[in-house]
Amino acid sequence: MIAQLRKLVLGETWTLPLGVAITLLAGVALDAAGPGWWHRAGGFVLLGGALATLVASLRRR
Amino acid sequence: MTAFLLTLAGAALAVGLELLEAMAIVLAVAAERGRRDALIGAAGAVALLAIAGFVVGPVVLARIPLEPLQVVIGVALLLFGLEWLRKGVLRLAGRRAPSSALAEYLEEREALHALAPPVPGRPDWPARIVAGKGVLLEGLEVVLIVAALGAGKEGLAPALAGAAVAVAAVIAIGAVVHRPLARLPESHLKYAVGVVLSAFGVFFLAEGLGVEWPGGDAALLYLAAALVTASQIQVTGLAREAPA
Repeated sequence: MIAQLRKLVLGETWTLPLGVAITLLAGVALDAAGPGWWHRAGGFVLLGGALATLVASLRRR
Repeated sequence: MTAFLLTLAGAALAVGLELLEAMAIVLAVAAERGRRDALIGAAGAVALLAIAGFVVGPVVLARIPLEPLQVVIGVALLLFGLEWLRKGVLRLAGRRAPSSALAEYLEEREALHALAPPVPGRPDWPARIVAGKGVLLEGLEVVLIVAALGAGKEGLAPALAGAAVAVAAVIAIGAVVHRPLARLPESHLKYAVGVVLSAFGVFFLAEGLGVEWPGGDAALLYLAAALVTASQIQVTGLAREAPA
Protein backbone atom coordinates (compact mmCIF):
# COMPACT_ATOMS: atom_id res chain seq x y z
CA MET A 1 0.00 0.00 0.00
CA ILE A 2 2.82 2.41 0.94
CA ALA A 3 4.70 1.54 -2.26
CA GLN A 4 1.52 2.19 -4.27
CA LEU A 5 0.99 5.54 -2.53
CA ARG A 6 4.60 6.55 -3.26
CA LYS A 7 4.11 5.57 -6.88
CA LEU A 8 0.86 7.55 -6.97
CA VAL A 9 2.45 10.77 -5.71
CA LEU A 10 6.01 10.56 -7.07
CA GLY A 11 5.44 8.33 -10.09
CA GLU A 12 7.22 5.19 -11.28
CA THR A 13 10.62 6.81 -11.79
CA TRP A 14 12.75 9.07 -9.59
CA THR A 15 13.70 11.11 -12.67
CA LEU A 16 10.41 13.05 -12.60
CA PRO A 17 10.43 14.24 -8.97
CA LEU A 18 14.16 14.96 -9.30
CA GLY A 19 13.65 16.96 -12.51
CA VAL A 20 10.73 18.91 -11.04
CA ALA A 21 12.80 19.69 -7.92
CA ILE A 22 15.74 20.92 -10.04
CA THR A 23 13.36 23.04 -12.17
CA LEU A 24 11.84 24.57 -9.03
CA LEU A 25 15.23 25.30 -7.43
CA ALA A 26 16.54 26.80 -10.69
CA GLY A 27 13.43 28.98 -10.87
CA VAL A 28 13.85 30.25 -7.31
CA ALA A 29 17.58 30.96 -7.91
CA LEU A 30 17.01 32.74 -11.24
CA ASP A 31 14.16 34.79 -9.75
CA ALA A 32 16.51 35.99 -7.01
CA ALA A 33 19.36 36.66 -9.51
CA GLY A 34 17.40 38.76 -12.02
CA PRO A 35 13.81 39.57 -11.11
CA GLY A 36 13.41 41.91 -14.13
CA TRP A 37 13.88 39.45 -16.96
CA TRP A 38 12.53 36.58 -14.88
CA HIS A 39 9.20 38.39 -14.52
CA ARG A 40 8.84 38.45 -18.33
CA ALA A 41 10.56 35.27 -19.50
CA GLY A 42 10.88 32.96 -16.49
CA GLY A 43 7.85 30.91 -17.54
CA PHE A 44 9.66 29.71 -20.64
CA VAL A 45 12.64 28.63 -18.54
CA LEU A 46 10.28 26.56 -16.37
CA LEU A 47 8.63 25.13 -19.50
CA GLY A 48 12.11 24.14 -20.72
CA GLY A 49 12.78 22.47 -17.36
CA ALA A 50 9.52 20.52 -17.55
CA LEU A 51 10.23 19.37 -21.12
CA ALA A 52 13.81 18.38 -20.22
CA THR A 53 12.45 16.41 -17.25
CA LEU A 54 9.97 14.60 -19.51
CA VAL A 55 12.66 13.73 -22.07
CA ALA A 56 15.05 12.54 -19.33
CA SER A 57 12.36 10.34 -17.78
CA LEU A 58 11.70 8.73 -21.17
CA ARG A 59 15.41 8.03 -21.72
CA ARG A 60 15.86 6.43 -18.27
CA ARG A 61 13.28 3.64 -18.27
CA MET B 1 -12.49 31.63 -20.03
CA THR B 2 -9.54 29.60 -21.41
CA ALA B 3 -8.49 28.59 -17.90
CA PHE B 4 -12.10 27.79 -16.94
CA LEU B 5 -12.66 25.51 -19.94
CA LEU B 6 -9.27 23.79 -19.67
CA THR B 7 -9.79 23.22 -15.92
CA LEU B 8 -13.21 21.74 -16.62
CA ALA B 9 -11.94 19.51 -19.42
CA GLY B 10 -8.82 18.45 -17.49
CA ALA B 11 -10.80 17.61 -14.34
CA ALA B 12 -13.49 15.75 -16.30
CA LEU B 13 -10.95 13.60 -18.16
CA ALA B 14 -8.69 12.91 -15.17
CA VAL B 15 -11.58 12.11 -12.81
CA GLY B 16 -13.40 10.06 -15.44
CA LEU B 17 -10.38 7.90 -16.22
CA GLU B 18 -9.52 7.32 -12.56
CA LEU B 19 -13.14 6.48 -11.73
CA LEU B 20 -13.25 4.09 -14.65
CA GLU B 21 -10.31 2.18 -13.16
CA ALA B 22 -11.92 2.18 -9.70
CA MET B 23 -15.21 0.99 -11.22
CA ALA B 24 -13.44 -1.85 -13.03
CA ILE B 25 -12.10 -3.14 -9.70
CA VAL B 26 -15.46 -2.79 -7.88
CA LEU B 27 -17.33 -4.50 -10.74
CA ALA B 28 -14.80 -7.34 -10.73
CA VAL B 29 -15.25 -7.81 -6.96
CA ALA B 30 -19.05 -7.66 -7.37
CA ALA B 31 -19.00 -10.25 -10.14
CA GLU B 32 -16.66 -12.67 -8.35
CA ARG B 33 -17.54 -12.24 -4.67
CA GLY B 34 -20.91 -10.50 -4.44
CA ARG B 35 -22.31 -7.02 -4.95
CA ARG B 36 -22.95 -6.27 -1.26
CA ASP B 37 -19.35 -6.69 -0.07
CA ALA B 38 -18.00 -4.83 -3.11
CA LEU B 39 -20.27 -1.87 -2.36
CA ILE B 40 -19.42 -1.91 1.37
CA GLY B 41 -15.71 -1.83 0.56
CA ALA B 42 -16.20 0.97 -1.97
CA ALA B 43 -18.40 2.97 0.43
CA GLY B 44 -15.75 2.72 3.16
CA ALA B 45 -13.16 4.08 0.75
CA VAL B 46 -15.47 6.92 -0.35
CA ALA B 47 -15.91 7.92 3.32
CA LEU B 48 -12.10 8.04 3.77
CA LEU B 49 -11.78 10.05 0.55
CA ALA B 50 -14.34 12.59 1.79
CA ILE B 51 -12.16 13.11 4.88
CA ALA B 52 -9.04 13.37 2.68
CA GLY B 53 -10.81 15.94 0.45
CA PHE B 54 -11.73 18.02 3.48
CA VAL B 55 -8.20 17.88 4.87
CA VAL B 56 -6.51 18.73 1.54
CA GLY B 57 -8.96 21.48 0.51
CA PRO B 58 -10.50 23.59 3.29
CA VAL B 59 -7.92 22.68 5.95
CA VAL B 60 -4.51 22.67 4.19
CA LEU B 61 -4.81 24.53 0.86
CA ALA B 62 -7.12 27.26 2.21
CA ARG B 63 -4.50 28.29 4.78
CA ILE B 64 -1.56 28.75 2.40
CA PRO B 65 -1.05 32.29 0.97
CA LEU B 66 -1.64 32.62 -2.83
CA GLU B 67 1.94 32.67 -4.20
CA PRO B 68 3.34 29.76 -2.15
CA LEU B 69 0.07 27.92 -2.85
CA GLN B 70 0.59 28.36 -6.60
CA VAL B 71 4.10 26.91 -6.25
CA VAL B 72 2.80 23.91 -4.27
CA ILE B 73 -0.05 23.32 -6.73
CA GLY B 74 2.26 23.82 -9.71
CA VAL B 75 4.72 21.23 -8.40
CA ALA B 76 1.89 18.77 -7.60
CA LEU B 77 0.31 19.18 -11.06
CA LEU B 78 3.71 18.83 -12.74
CA LEU B 79 4.39 15.59 -10.85
CA PHE B 80 1.01 14.15 -11.84
CA GLY B 81 0.95 15.65 -15.34
CA LEU B 82 4.45 14.62 -16.39
CA GLU B 83 3.87 11.07 -15.09
CA TRP B 84 0.63 10.76 -17.11
CA LEU B 85 2.43 12.28 -20.10
CA ARG B 86 5.45 9.95 -19.74
CA LYS B 87 3.21 6.89 -19.66
CA GLY B 88 1.12 8.31 -22.51
CA VAL B 89 4.19 8.79 -24.72
CA LEU B 90 5.38 5.24 -23.99
CA ARG B 91 1.91 3.83 -24.80
CA LEU B 92 1.53 5.80 -28.02
CA ALA B 93 5.05 4.74 -29.07
CA GLY B 94 4.14 1.09 -28.45
CA ARG B 95 6.66 0.81 -25.58
CA ARG B 96 4.03 0.13 -22.92
CA ALA B 97 0.77 -1.84 -22.95
CA PRO B 98 -2.22 0.35 -23.85
CA SER B 99 -4.31 1.53 -20.92
CA SER B 100 -7.46 -0.55 -20.58
CA ALA B 101 -9.98 -0.57 -17.74
CA LEU B 102 -11.55 -3.64 -19.36
CA ALA B 103 -8.22 -5.53 -19.17
CA GLU B 104 -7.90 -4.42 -15.55
CA TYR B 105 -11.42 -5.71 -14.87
CA LEU B 106 -10.61 -9.11 -16.36
CA GLU B 107 -7.25 -9.34 -14.53
CA GLU B 108 -8.89 -8.43 -11.22
CA ARG B 109 -11.57 -11.08 -11.74
CA GLU B 110 -8.90 -13.68 -12.42
CA ALA B 111 -6.96 -12.71 -9.28
CA LEU B 112 -10.13 -12.82 -7.14
CA HIS B 113 -11.05 -16.19 -8.61
CA ALA B 114 -7.86 -17.62 -7.09
CA LEU B 115 -8.88 -16.59 -3.55
CA ALA B 116 -10.71 -18.95 -1.18
CA PRO B 117 -14.48 -18.64 -1.72
CA PRO B 118 -16.44 -16.51 0.80
CA VAL B 119 -18.18 -18.27 3.70
CA PRO B 120 -21.97 -17.86 3.27
CA GLY B 121 -23.54 -15.56 5.86
CA ARG B 122 -20.18 -14.07 6.95
CA PRO B 123 -18.66 -10.71 5.91
CA ASP B 124 -16.29 -11.21 2.97
CA TRP B 125 -13.36 -9.09 4.19
CA PRO B 126 -10.94 -9.95 1.35
CA ALA B 127 -13.57 -8.70 -1.15
CA ARG B 128 -14.24 -5.55 0.87
CA ILE B 129 -10.52 -4.82 1.19
CA VAL B 130 -9.83 -5.33 -2.53
CA ALA B 131 -12.75 -3.07 -3.52
CA GLY B 132 -11.92 -0.47 -0.85
CA LYS B 133 -8.21 -0.35 -1.68
CA GLY B 134 -8.92 0.05 -5.40
CA VAL B 135 -11.35 2.92 -4.85
CA LEU B 136 -9.07 4.53 -2.25
CA LEU B 137 -5.95 4.56 -4.43
CA GLU B 138 -7.71 5.76 -7.59
CA GLY B 139 -9.86 8.20 -5.61
CA LEU B 140 -6.91 9.74 -3.81
CA GLU B 141 -5.48 10.84 -7.14
CA VAL B 142 -8.92 12.30 -8.02
CA VAL B 143 -8.99 14.27 -4.75
CA LEU B 144 -5.47 15.64 -5.28
CA ILE B 145 -6.05 16.58 -8.94
CA VAL B 146 -9.42 18.27 -8.30
CA ALA B 147 -8.02 20.13 -5.27
CA ALA B 148 -4.98 21.25 -7.28
CA LEU B 149 -6.99 22.38 -10.32
CA GLY B 150 -9.57 24.00 -8.01
CA ALA B 151 -6.90 26.06 -6.26
CA GLY B 152 -6.44 28.23 -9.38
CA LYS B 153 -7.91 31.67 -10.03
CA GLU B 154 -11.13 30.16 -11.38
CA GLY B 155 -11.82 28.48 -8.04
CA LEU B 156 -13.33 25.05 -7.45
CA ALA B 157 -16.36 25.54 -9.76
CA PRO B 158 -14.87 24.32 -13.08
CA ALA B 159 -12.96 21.46 -11.40
CA LEU B 160 -16.08 20.29 -9.57
CA ALA B 161 -18.24 20.70 -12.69
CA GLY B 162 -15.74 18.61 -14.66
CA ALA B 163 -15.72 15.99 -11.88
CA ALA B 164 -19.53 15.89 -11.90
CA VAL B 165 -19.60 15.38 -15.68
CA ALA B 166 -17.08 12.56 -15.27
CA VAL B 167 -19.08 10.84 -12.51
CA ALA B 168 -22.23 10.93 -14.66
CA ALA B 169 -20.33 9.58 -17.69
CA VAL B 170 -18.70 6.76 -15.70
CA ILE B 171 -22.04 5.73 -14.14
CA ALA B 172 -23.54 5.66 -17.65
CA ILE B 173 -20.67 3.50 -18.87
CA GLY B 174 -21.00 1.26 -15.79
CA ALA B 175 -24.66 0.68 -16.57
CA VAL B 176 -23.80 -0.92 -19.91
CA VAL B 177 -20.31 -2.05 -19.09
CA HIS B 178 -18.28 -4.12 -21.59
CA ARG B 179 -18.69 -2.51 -24.99
CA PRO B 180 -18.18 1.20 -24.16
CA LEU B 181 -15.23 0.24 -21.94
CA ALA B 182 -13.55 -1.64 -24.79
CA ARG B 183 -14.15 1.20 -27.25
CA LEU B 184 -12.70 4.03 -25.14
CA PRO B 185 -9.36 5.33 -26.49
CA GLU B 186 -7.97 5.34 -22.93
CA SER B 187 -4.30 5.71 -23.87
CA HIS B 188 -5.02 8.83 -25.94
CA LEU B 189 -7.29 10.31 -23.26
CA LYS B 190 -4.65 9.75 -20.57
CA TYR B 191 -2.04 11.36 -22.80
CA ALA B 192 -4.37 14.39 -23.16
CA VAL B 193 -4.79 14.58 -19.37
CA GLY B 194 -1.01 14.55 -19.04
CA VAL B 195 -0.75 17.50 -21.42
CA VAL B 196 -3.45 19.52 -19.62
CA LEU B 197 -2.14 18.83 -16.09
CA SER B 198 1.46 19.58 -17.12
CA ALA B 199 0.41 22.84 -18.81
CA PHE B 200 -1.41 23.92 -15.63
CA GLY B 201 1.60 22.81 -13.56
CA VAL B 202 4.06 25.01 -15.49
CA PHE B 203 1.52 27.88 -15.53
CA PHE B 204 0.87 27.88 -11.76
CA LEU B 205 4.51 27.26 -10.82
CA ALA B 206 5.60 30.25 -12.91
CA GLU B 207 2.88 32.50 -11.49
CA GLY B 208 3.85 31.43 -7.97
CA LEU B 209 7.45 32.44 -8.75
CA GLY B 210 6.40 35.93 -9.89
CA VAL B 211 6.20 35.38 -13.68
CA GLU B 212 3.64 37.26 -15.77
CA TRP B 213 2.62 35.14 -18.77
CA PRO B 214 2.40 36.90 -22.14
CA GLY B 215 -1.27 36.64 -23.13
CA GLY B 216 -2.50 35.86 -19.58
CA ASP B 217 -4.60 32.67 -19.33
CA ALA B 218 -4.12 32.08 -23.09
CA ALA B 219 -0.58 30.99 -22.15
CA LEU B 220 -2.16 27.65 -21.20
CA LEU B 221 -2.83 27.08 -24.89
CA TYR B 222 0.73 27.67 -26.07
CA LEU B 223 2.08 25.70 -23.11
CA ALA B 224 -0.16 22.78 -24.10
CA ALA B 225 0.94 23.16 -27.74
CA ALA B 226 4.63 23.07 -26.70
CA LEU B 227 4.03 19.95 -24.58
CA VAL B 228 2.17 18.21 -27.41
CA THR B 229 4.93 19.07 -29.92
CA ALA B 230 7.77 17.92 -27.66
CA SER B 231 6.00 14.74 -26.58
CA GLN B 232 4.97 13.82 -30.13
CA ILE B 233 8.63 14.15 -31.20
CA GLN B 234 9.43 11.67 -28.40
CA VAL B 235 6.62 9.34 -29.52
CA THR B 236 7.99 9.33 -33.08
CA GLY B 237 11.57 8.81 -31.89
CA LEU B 238 10.70 5.98 -29.49
CA ALA B 239 8.46 4.26 -32.05
CA ARG B 240 11.34 4.27 -34.57
CA GLU B 241 13.85 2.72 -32.14
CA ALA B 242 14.17 -1.05 -32.03
CA PRO B 243 11.87 -2.65 -29.43
CA ALA B 244 13.44 -2.83 -25.92
